[in-house]
Amino acid sequence: MIGVWHAWRGRTPRGEGPWAWLSAGSVALSLLALAALLLLLTVRGLGHFWPADVALVTLADGQQLAGVPVREVALPGDGRERLYRTGNAELEDGVWAWVPVAAITEVEYPRELVRVERRRGDEMVGWLVGMTREDGRWIEGARAWTALQERLHVLQGLRETRDRLRETVILPHVSEREPGDGDTPELTRAYARLQELQAAMEGGRLILRAAGGERLVVPLEALQSARRPNAMSAIDKLADWSDAVWRFLTEGPRAANTRGGVWPAIFGTVLMVILMSVMVMPFGVLAAVYLNEVAHQGRVTRLVRIAVRNLAGVPSIVYGVFGLGVFVYGIGGTLDTWFFEERLPSPTFGTGGLLWASLTLALLTLPVVIVATEEGLARIPDQQREGALALGATRLEMLSRVVLPMATPAMLTGLILAVARAAGEVAPLMLVGVAKLAPQVPVDGHFPFLHLDRKFMHLGYHVYDVALHSGDLQAALPLAYATALLLVLVILVLNLTAIFLRHYLRVRHGMPSPR
Amino acid sequence: MSDASPDTSSRRRLRQARDRLATALITAGGIGVVVAVLAIGVFLALEALPLLWLPSGTETLGLSALAWGTLEAAAWSLVIAVPLSLGAAIHSAMFMSRRLRSRLKPTLELMEALPGVVIGFVAGLVMAPWVERHLGEVFALIVLLPPGLLLAAGLRACLPYRWQRWLPMGYAGLWLVPWLLLVMATALWLSPWLEVWWFGGDLRDWLEQGLGLDVAMRNALVVGVAMGFAVIPSVYALAEEALSGVPSSLAEGAQALGATRWQTLWRVMLPAASPGVLAAVMIGAGRAVGETMIVLMASGNAALMTLNPLDGLQSLAAGIAIELPEADPGGAHYRWLMLAALLLFLFTFLVNTLAELVRTGLRRRYRQLGGNA
Repeated sequence: MIGVWHAWRGRTPRGEGPWAWLSAGSVALSLLALAALLLLLTVRGLGHFWPADVALVTLADGQQLAGVPVREVALPGDGRERLYRTGNAELEDGVWAWVPVAAITEVEYPRELVRVERRRGDEMVGWLVGMTREDGRWIEGARAWTALQERLHVLQGLRETRDRLRETVILPHVSEREPGDGDTPELTRAYARLQELQAAMEGGRLILRAAGGERLVVPLEALQSARRPNAMSAIDKLADWSDAVWRFLTEGPRAANTRGGVWPAIFGTVLMVILMSVMVMPFGVLAAVYLNEVAHQGRVTRLVRIAVRNLAGVPSIVYGVFGLGVFVYGIGGTLDTWFFEERLPSPTFGTGGLLWASLTLALLTLPVVIVATEEGLARIPDQQREGALALGATRLEMLSRVVLPMATPAMLTGLILAVARAAGEVAPLMLVGVAKLAPQVPVDGHFPFLHLDRKFMHLGYHVYDVALHSGDLQAALPLAYATALLLVLVILVLNLTAIFLRHYLRVRHGMPSPR
Repeated sequence: MSDASPDTSSRRRLRQARDRLATALITAGGIGVVVAVLAIGVFLALEALPLLWLPSGTETLGLSALAWGTLEAAAWSLVIAVPLSLGAAIHSAMFMSRRLRSRLKPTLELMEALPGVVIGFVAGLVMAPWVERHLGEVFALIVLLPPGLLLAAGLRACLPYRWQRWLPMGYAGLWLVPWLLLVMATALWLSPWLEVWWFGGDLRDWLEQGLGLDVAMRNALVVGVAMGFAVIPSVYALAEEALSGVPSSLAEGAQALGATRWQTLWRVMLPAASPGVLAAVMIGAGRAVGETMIVLMASGNAALMTLNPLDGLQSLAAGIAIELPEADPGGAHYRWLMLAALLLFLFTFLVNTLAELVRTGLRRRYRQLGGNA
């Protein structure tokens, strides 16, 4: 060790000492932490959709179980234990099984093992014994597999028709109807059609044999999909994987948010952010123009500028409290007593909703837009303004024809940063209108089309809810990873755009970096 | 451009009227927006004010426990974030190659943009359970990382000069990453022996029975690490700005007099930039105090007042997020939560204002010293 020390003192030309290396290490550690976080989210978020092979495990005592290996931990003392996800919740030892690695005598991957995904509840794993069709005919063997796939396809189509019917015809009619009214003819027809569809979906069962030998019977309409992952080629799996990712992005959540997709959350996040941008941009630019171009540049303006800058550092939850007190209880409550008295005491605008959430976030991101726009305005050389004025332009013309067009990239940067910040904020939304589950998206074909009073779902809140408030955490965790990854990707892309835009701005104006 | 004809003069009057109108609108709108934004503090104060004439002893919410939890979480996150971010700032201001620095800054900016809910998720549901099961490994990691880094430096110095050039100081932030992974793997591998050697087998038993400390799964230390991660980028950005703003004449003068880079940094640049570094830490503290989702998801939300870093806590912000939606508007509970929000607002606003004033003063000083900042 002393030799190393001397070699080091002797050889380093400037004798940097240990502290320089520790500071280098802190850079490396920060980068490593960031990379590890992103890698974890990517692997776990995307890996969840991969149709993993199902292992058939034979234990030393002759017992068999079939499942997907999830992870392995070291036991206290010696040996390791492996967790298998075996599914089959109706069996006594269902869903998860811890197996000591030492007790495993054989692991096989039989091609015929079937993994069935249910619409609600856990998946099933076993051998296909056969199925009864909806007309009561019994099929077994290889023909059963094709028949099953066909039937599942038909069921999926029926389900889509039913959901469309519900969303486009029944829900609008029901919400329009006065409490005392009977059904309109249109509604009666829709109900009849709904029952027809429901009836067409019923019938037929699937019979599986679990690894332990038990027979499992499940009605076909309770199934989402069935696959034989061990028999799939890599290309099949890739297709299956992209299909699963696509369904995650486009479908609604099922089974209390522990299954299915996040489409309503994506929709809610995007809609809320758009509304927020529409509100924040005019006011932010107005305030920035006032502070930079119109106001007398004295002590007061400087103080106001510092105050606005500091508001960007005020915790977001404080904005949420403000939104709840002023927008929801204050303005919303007043609106309710004026316009929606007949619905009281159930509140219309006097509770959290899309409008209040986007207003709160607009307030939250206002400092971001103001600061970015001001930065852009301050970069524009005064000669430009003076030139315009000298040519006879009024101040309005100077601003609208010369200054603002030059500041557009800065405003855009501000907007993107604001959107990136707003998309990731969850704490204020918990107070002003986010919902665990909002079956109706806030936009539909029913007047006034955009329902500002509705609650909405949000990606960030979805992560929080799935991770902390779901009954079966092990099953919900992959979904939380995937949602978190999606959120991070959206925000990273937005921020990268802002960074490139700012770079472009600097290059175009040929100016050194600020500060 | 002659205004002789009546037509142009009337047009000019119109233009000027429009200009005056627009200026008035901008002024009104600008002042309106600024006032609306500043109204937040006034609103919170007004809502919390009735607490003053509330009969004492009705309900106090345990605000002190929440305030304690907030400060504890912020303190632990600063313990993690300050050395790392200041080290990174020092390295990138003094030693790092210019190219790498121009890449590192946006990367850390992206790190700052990571939403709190994602960091809280990873901390609360991935890191916390792992740490709970592997306390000994965590301890080994903390203890072995710094010597591991120094070992890298020592080994590099033993290499022939030709090889050393492949591992330049300017890129140490990058090539140390695989080395760190190696050190971590070694620490994890060694940890069972270390645990036996230092703590007689199991660190957790040693803590619980030897020291009488509770070990909760979601604890202050996990919160500190997660929030430290979230705070590092902002502290880094401000500290780096303060350090690289130091007039280069100072550093060059010191080095010309024979000081090493580290001596220059420690004796010349850091004293000059210390107000800026302090401001950076303050802004980091402000951010840590107000962060909601990380504490909410990683702290266990147990309002305890202990000094034990391995026990749970609850912060003001998390308390507000959980309890305010259920509180009856106008009731005493509601007012207490408003007071909590007011405290958060005042603390962050004051800290940030102070930091901003310090930074403004520092910039003026640099200009006087003849720098280009």
